[in-house]
Amino acid sequence: MRKILVVEDEDMLRESYKMIISTEPYDLDVAKNGQEALDLCALKDYDLILLDLMMPVLDGVGFLKRFKNPNTKVIILSNLSSSDTIEEALKLGAESNLVKAAMSPRELLSRVRYEVTSL
Amino acid sequence: MSAQKQALKLSSVRIAHKDALGELERYKLLVESVEDYAIFLLDADGYVQTWNKGAQKNKGYTADEIIGKHFSTFYLARDILAKKPERELKLARQLGRVEDEDWRVRKDGSQFWANVVITALKDDEGNIVGFAKVTRDLTDRKYNEDLLRSNNALLKRQQQELEALNVSKDEFISLASHQLRTPATTIKQLLGMLTQGFVGDVNPEHLKFIKRAYEANERQIRIVENLLKVAQLDAGKVVLRIRPVDLHDYLADIVEEHTGGIAKKGQTLKLVIEESAPLNAFLDLDYFRMALGNLIDNASKYSQSNGHITVSARADKSCLFVSVHDNGVGIAASDQKQLFEKFSRITNELSETVGGSGLGLYWVKRVIEMHNGKVSVKSKKHGGSTFTLELPLQDQHA
Repeated sequence: MRKILVVEDEDMLRESYKMIISTEPYDLDVAKNGQEALDLCALKDYDLILLDLMMPVLDGVGFLKRFKNPNTKVIILSNLSSSDTIEEALKLGAESNLVKAAMSPRELLSRVRYEVTSL
Repeated sequence: MSAQKQALKLSSVRIAHKDALGELERYKLLVESVEDYAIFLLDADGYVQTWNKGAQKNKGYTADEIIGKHFSTFYLARDILAKKPERELKLARQLGRVEDEDWRVRKDGSQFWANVVITALKDDEGNIVGFAKVTRDLTDRKYNEDLLRSNNALLKRQQQELEALNVSKDEFISLASHQLRTPATTIKQLLGMLTQGFVGDVNPEHLKFIKRAYEANERQIRIVENLLKVAQLDAGKVVLRIRPVDLHDYLADIVEEHTGGIAKKGQTLKLVIEESAPLNAFLDLDYFRMALGNLIDNASKYSQSNGHITVSARADKSCLFVSVHDNGVGIAASDQKQLFEKFSRITNELSETVGGSGLGLYWVKRVIEMHNGKVSVKSKKHGGSTFTLELPLQDQHA
C-alpha cells in the first residue's frame, strides 16, 4: 500500500484532505507543520508527501531543507503567491506545485492517484 | 591726436603713477579696496588697528567706529562668555594660524555665518606683533547648505516612510494571499465534498443550493486571485522571464486547457493558425498563457451557451497577432474606452450572473505592455467581440 503524508496547518483543510484521500486504499498520515512531518518521516518512508508551504513552527521550505529521502516524491500544495518561495521549494527537491484554491476534491484525488501510479 | 593714441598716453601715465607708489602703499590700496572680504589687522592683544571696505560692508562699522575696539565685539555673547576670542588668539599664537566657521554679530546686532582666518604676524625676531584677520560672509552658502541638509533629511524620512508603506503593502499582499484564500479554499473543499459525493448522498433540492454556493465561492476565489495578481503587478513584483518562444509550439496547448470547460457550457472553441506566419516572439510563456487564457475565459463568460469562440494567430512584417473572437453579447462603443481600466465593470445581460473583479483586462493590458505589446478590441453590442494581443516579432526586438 502506498504511503502518503499530507502536511497542512489548517485543521479543517487537513481533515478534508484526509477524508478525500482516505476514500482510496492508501496508508495515509497527516501532520500539521514541518516539524511534525519530519518526526513522522523518521518513522516511515513515504512514497508521496503533499506539502503546504506557509506553516507555523517549521514551514515547508524549512522542512525541505532538513528532509533528505530520494525515494519520496514531494508535491507542494499551497496557496502561496510568492514565486520566490515556490521556486526555493522546487530547488530544494519538491517536484511540482499545486495551487490549493484551484483543486476540487475530485481533482485532488485524481492528482494523488496520478502521482502515486507514476512513481 | 587720435583717440587711440590719447588712451595709450593716459594708461602709461597711470602705470608711471603706480610705480611711484611704494610697494607697501600698493598693498594697502589693494586690501582697502577689497569688498568681499573683511581684511584688517589686530594688535597683539586683539584690538582693531586697520579696517577695509569689505570689513565695513561685512560688519557695518566705519573705520572710525571700530578702530581701537577689541575684536571680541564681533562675537556672540555666549562665545565671549566662553572666552572663544581669547582662545582663538592663543591658538593663532601657538600654531601661527587659526580658522573658524561660526556665527558672528554685525553692528546692527544681526548675525552672519563667517569663515574667519586669524594669522599671527611676527617681527624679524619672531615676536608676535599682531594678527591679520580675514573674514568672509558665508551666510548664503550656510543657508543653502542647511536647506539642502534639511531637504535631504526630509527626503530620507519620506523614503523611509515609503519603504515602510511598501513593506506593509507587501505584508498585506502576503496576508491577503494566505488568509483570504485559506478559508475560501476550505469552503471549496467542504462544498466540493458534498457536491462530488465524498460524504454520501445529498438531497437533490439541497444539492442545487450547495452547487450555487460552490460557484459563488469559486467566483470569490477568482476575485481574490485577480486582486493578488494586480497587487503584485502594481508593487513591481512581477519579473518577466522573457525567452524566445515559437507560439506554433504552444498555442494548441493553451487552447486545449480551456476546451473542456467551454464544451461543458455547450460552447465551441477552435484554433486557426496561419501556418506560414512566423510566430516567434520574446515572451514569458507563463504570463502569456495567463493573458490569453483570461481572454478565452472572458469570451466564454460573455457568450451564450451555444457560443462559438475562435482563437487565431497571424503575423505581419513586424508583429504577431493572437486574437480571441466570440459571437457573444459584445461591448458598446461607449464602454470600450474604460474596458482596460482598473475596476471597470461593464453592464450587459450576462454581467450580473458572471460576476468579476474588473481587474482581468487591466492585468492583461499591463502584462502585454511589459512585453512591448498592445491589446485591442473590436466589438459592437450584440455583435460579438474580438480581442487581439499584438507582440513584436523576435527580429524586431534587436
